Amino acid sequence: MSKLLSRSLKRLMIYAGLVLVCSIPAYYFIFSRLWQYELNEHNVVITAEASREDSYLIIAFVTGLTVLFFALLIVGLILVNRRISNRLWQPFYRSLAQIKGFDLHRQQPVEFEKTDIDEFTELNQSLHKLIAGNVAVYNQQKEFADNASHELQTPLAIIQSKLDLLLQSQSLTDEQYNIIEEANKALARVTRINKNLLLLTKIENSQFMEKEQIDLSALLENTLPVLASFAEDKQLTLQTDIHPGVVVEGNKILIEILLNNLVTNAIRYSPANDVIAIRLDSQSLSIANAGTAPLKQEQLFKRFSSISSQTPGTGLGLALVKQISNRYGWQIDYAFSDRLHTFTLTF
Amino acid sequence: MKILIIEDEAALAQSMGAYLSDENYLCEFAATYKEAIDKIDVYEYDCILLDLMLPGGDGIKILEEIKAQQKQDGVIIISAKNSLEDKIKGLQIGADDYLTKPFHLSELAARIYSIIRRKQFGNANIVTQNELSINLPAKTVTVNDQPVTLTRKEFDLLLYFISNKNKVISKSALAEHLSGEIADMLDSYDFVYVHIKNLKKKLQEAGCSNYLKTLYGTGYKWEI
Repeated sequence: MSKLLSRSLKRLMIYAGLVLVCSIPAYYFIFSRLWQYELNEHNVVITAEASREDSYLIIAFVTGLTVLFFALLIVGLILVNRRISNRLWQPFYRSLAQIKGFDLHRQQPVEFEKTDIDEFTELNQSLHKLIAGNVAVYNQQKEFADNASHELQTPLAIIQSKLDLLLQSQSLTDEQYNIIEEANKALARVTRINKNLLLLTKIENSQFMEKEQIDLSALLENTLPVLASFAEDKQLTLQTDIHPGVVVEGNKILIEILLNNLVTNAIRYSPANDVIAIRLDSQSLSIANAGTAPLKQEQLFKRFSSISSQTPGTGLGLALVKQISNRYGWQIDYAFSDRLHTFTLTF
Repeated sequence: MKILIIEDEAALAQSMGAYLSDENYLCEFAATYKEAIDKIDVYEYDCILLDLMLPGGDGIKILEEIKAQQKQDGVIIISAKNSLEDKIKGLQIGADDYLTKPFHLSELAARIYSIIRRKQFGNANIVTQNELSINLPAKTVTVNDQPVTLTRKEFDLLLYFISNKNKVISKSALAEHLSGEIADMLDSYDFVYVHIKNLKKKLQEAGCSNYLKTLYGTGYKWEI
């Protein structure tokens, strides 16, 4: 067990020392050759001029030799460093691959290999702790979503059943009946909000991870007739331009929710006797309905931002759309022009 | 007709019992896993309402037990969990229907009615009431032997009223029934009125007496 830094440093120092030791005989050899050459050439007549010429020569040789060894040192260091790094960082890369391959949803156990380097051992231990913590929180959240669902739905069911029973009383006045109906409506809304909130939580918790190839064109064609009857109730015309064979990858339940929410929104907020235009091609899906004023774009996809007395929706429909688009890396945009609200989903 | 209500929430079980008892159903109750198993072992029921989360055991096991004993009892799962996996699992094991809490009692009555009719009459499943006759499998209606053409929603509504005879049904319950899974569509309940008006008109024009009464402005009751 040793530190990462001391390992690589040791090897690099050994190499540098080796190069320096090698340079000593090289210097000795070059200088003795130089000396001999000078003796032969000039017969050691030391004049001021010759001595200056000598010093230039020596400087040139020393510089050349030093540059050579420096280059040797650098190239060697790079090579040695690369080799050491490759070997030293192996455990790190293996841990990295493990983390990359980890999927919180599938929760397969992560086993890090043992290494004899302090830092990596420490890193692996911390990662292990982190992942175990995340898995625990994830499971807790999932359980919470399930429990919250149960805990809330049952009292809601009791209220609902009691209202239905109350309705059967013989001596109800119109006023009392209307009070019950108002309560019924509010209850239906609470139920929907609860359902959608749970759905959002589930998507955030990375449930619904199963993916398949979905023929979006066919799915949309199947969805529209169901919704069309609601459009008819408002005398709306559905104008469709659906290119066949548009295939996306995703979870069927989520994609259905996404389509449903976008189309129902258009039906809900469109004035009566108008047209809803739905267009699907290989790049995008766009749904346009008439409107009078642009909506607040930055608020649109936030939870509960759209809720007001005029819009009795759950305030979660578009948040769900956004969440699902994010999951698949799709882009959802809103634009208002020519008195048309247009939502465009780009795959 | 005997119905077993397996539900640990006493207030809810009591509401269901009170509503169903009026409709000539005899209701028995089980509040725990053990009670439920004991009753199923000994008695036959026409329909069993099964809550999945019970003290002492998983409701799915009760369903498996019913199927293992090859009982013909109809089973409706009533669950607080609106999870698709649970629903598919339940129906695969052999439940006849799946209802998510909260629900309208009239919806429950309609589901029970349809299961009991299907189990007992099979393809000869024709409901007759004086001049009115409804063929459930074929989804056709005749008045004085003359066929009446109804849309799918009108037929649905008629059946809903028939299975909730002499009960006041609120407009919101009808809206929820008609919109089915797309509950987000429920902001305006006006569409209910249109369908009911058409249904009433068609039946009356065919010579059917007016069984469908309007109460308190927006409530409805099928009176016989």
